Amino acid sequence: MLFNSIEFILFFPIVTILFYLLPHNYRWLMLLGASCFFYMWFIPKYILILLITIAIDYTAGILIEQWSDDAKLKKRCLIVSIISTCLVLFIFKYLNFCSANFVALAQHFGWAHPNKILNIALPIGLSFHTFQSLSYVIEVYRGNQKAERHFGYYALYVMFYPQLVTGPIERPQNLLRQLHEEKTLNYDNIANGLRLILFGLFLKMVVADNLGQYVDQIYANPQDFNTLDITLGMVFYSFQIYGDFFGYSSIALGCALAMGFTLIDNFKAPYQANSIQEFWRRWHISLSTWFRDYLYIPLGGNRVAVPRWALNTLIVFTVCGIWHGANWTFMIWGFAYGVLLILERGLRNIHVFDKIASRSGKTIIKVVNIAKTFVIVTLLWSVFRATSFANLHDVFSAWIHNSSVASQLHVNAITWIALAAFIVIDLILKQNRFDKWCGEQHPYTRWILYAVMIFSIIVFSSVQHYPFIYFQF
Amino acid sequence: MTENDQHIILKLGKKFLLLATILVMLDILYRVTLYPRDRERYCTLMQYAQIPVKDSTDIIYLGESSNHSYSPADKDQRAISDMIDDMLPGHKVARLSKDACHAGIYYDILRNIPRKNPVQTVIVTVNMRSFSSEWIYSDLEKPLQKEQIFMRKAPALYKRMLLAFKAYAHWTESERTKLVREGFKKQTLDLPYYFPYKNANDWDHAIGSQCYLYNGKKVSQDTIALTCHYIKDFAYQLDDKNPRIQDLDKIVKLCQRRGWNLIFNVLADNMDQIKVLAGPDLEFLMKSNVQYLIHRYEPQGVKVVNNQYMVRDRDFFEREFPTEHYNQHGRHMVAEHIVERLKE
Repeated sequence: MLFNSIEFILFFPIVTILFYLLPHNYRWLMLLGASCFFYMWFIPKYILILLITIAIDYTAGILIEQWSDDAKLKKRCLIVSIISTCLVLFIFKYLNFCSANFVALAQHFGWAHPNKILNIALPIGLSFHTFQSLSYVIEVYRGNQKAERHFGYYALYVMFYPQLVTGPIERPQNLLRQLHEEKTLNYDNIANGLRLILFGLFLKMVVADNLGQYVDQIYANPQDFNTLDITLGMVFYSFQIYGDFFGYSSIALGCALAMGFTLIDNFKAPYQANSIQEFWRRWHISLSTWFRDYLYIPLGGNRVAVPRWALNTLIVFTVCGIWHGANWTFMIWGFAYGVLLILERGLRNIHVFDKIASRSGKTIIKVVNIAKTFVIVTLLWSVFRATSFANLHDVFSAWIHNSSVASQLHVNAITWIALAAFIVIDLILKQNRFDKWCGEQHPYTRWILYAVMIFSIIVFSSVQHYPFIYFQF
Repeated sequence: MTENDQHIILKLGKKFLLLATILVMLDILYRVTLYPRDRERYCTLMQYAQIPVKDSTDIIYLGESSNHSYSPADKDQRAISDMIDDMLPGHKVARLSKDACHAGIYYDILRNIPRKNPVQTVIVTVNMRSFSSEWIYSDLEKPLQKEQIFMRKAPALYKRMLLAFKAYAHWTESERTKLVREGFKKQTLDLPYYFPYKNANDWDHAIGSQCYLYNGKKVSQDTIALTCHYIKDFAYQLDDKNPRIQDLDKIVKLCQRRGWNLIFNVLADNMDQIKVLAGPDLEFLMKSNVQYLIHRYEPQGVKVVNNQYMVRDRDFFEREFPTEHYNQHGRHMVAEHIVERLKE
């Protein structure tokens, strides 16, 4: 079920009301049922894949805890669990990509090969719930989390509908604990939850979808557009993906909060970051911290020699790229971030920059750094957005060569206003959350804002159907 | 429920009341500002409903592509409705045709015709393919359903909200294909004699997996594909559960209420080709479906013009896919038959 669908407008209040009406002992069952229903709205049979992952990691968690005295056995169990969970992800997400590349390679070298590419659709949100499931077994292994004995609660931890499809990728210490807690009706939670949902819908339907129509035009036929059009398209995509994903995360947080559950904040004004490193501390926080805790630190993190650290960084960001999708463009996108982070650290060690910084005004330097980071991020989003290398080549080729072509991009006023509103909101909020900021405003201001947002969502949203971008991952 | 809970519920109730008031005000604001523009932009069908009043027409011809499609070789490129108009001096026929329209859309157009109107007769095109799941879940259905939203009787802001939240068929291609396939399975076939296939799906699969027709004649894959199209489009048995029958029922009631004469123009299909390719079983089904319409609607005062066999193979100008696109001769035959029944 999509958050921006008419079905969800009915689903959300029904589930929330039922949640509060039921005694605590039955709430998990209702939420699990609702989450299954929510997931099965897309492709029902894929719930079986989800159940397989749940069953594997549920069993692994208990076994790891039982064998806590036997380090070898415990480790083996963890490895088996990680491999089997990742195998499901590999089959559905990467097998087609691998076989296609193998076939291409075989053709290139003239090897005999079975020319078979499986035609499997990727279950929605598989990468997200796989990672959430993995974080559970790893935390149990590390002794930070007790194994969950109640299958229903564990299944709900993986399937909790607000964050099931596109995260935030939760940690068991946060969500599993909260699922056991008895939640009472709380006005602030409901009000803040609804504010977040409204904000999320505004970002998705008014900002992201309106920008999306122009981005799609440009990336479909880049050769028809000039340099300025393509530059705008790139900037639009930066805000489209931010609005889209931040919107989804806000709705997810809002739905959970309305029932009293607090999920991880996924964004903290990422386009106000003044370095790439800071960008990754503010963008898709639940994923970046996942990689930090379960891959970067186990590899040695930054407590190793510089060459090893550089290698770790490259590994982590390349894997992060592949996590997003089985395509070379994602891999390049991730790898590029790794390279940039290495360069950034290298440049930070050159003292001349410090001298410039001390001599010039700090604000100007900060603004320049923010602009520089935004430009780099925007350029890399182009790699991320491109459907293939050929498409990427077309975009950059037109961007460089089409400076004299007449502009073909006719952006309507609504889109400009929506974009400006988004930038202003982002600057006002800084790292604050919309619901909290909103709660601090005068009631008149607040209600005028609600009215404007509701009107915009209904009247100015795009009539084209744009699924959430991160659904494909 | 504790006292605190009651207090919270009361507080929430007040806020929702305030929200409802704001929504009413926003609806008024929308209705007087952007709604007319949106209706024009997103609902061209709504303009159709105004034509009979604007042009003072006493006959409405509701149709789809069969009305206005013509062969490149046609010297006379008039639509069926225009031919009827020319054949009926003293009457004015409104041409309300849009590709892929069906009874559900016609009903909405008719419903939105202003109360005061000069209309006396309504001719509704009944394309026999429109009852099949191939058409019901057609990819052309999405834009039509989007337009239908603005034709509903509902507050303006609510209608725009339905559009914003995509409350219409927005299937992905794979979802649509699945729906069509499931629809074929539901098109069960209960013939009065032994017939090996339970439904359209089985029949389609059986023919599609070989290179022989029903009579054992070996043919090309293209011919098999065309035969399968005919099976998918026409292998069904009408009953009142079919959504298009329900739409036709609504049209009948509406016309009765408004005092309009109603004519169902059952379109001609390429029966010559169907007989050769799919054999007598499909022909039997198609004939019985038209009979079903005649027996259902004629007692209710509807004139059902049966054109099923009216147009011969040579007058269909599209040969690779089942259509009801006739050349000038074919269109003329249909128009003439309708006028004949109109004059009765």
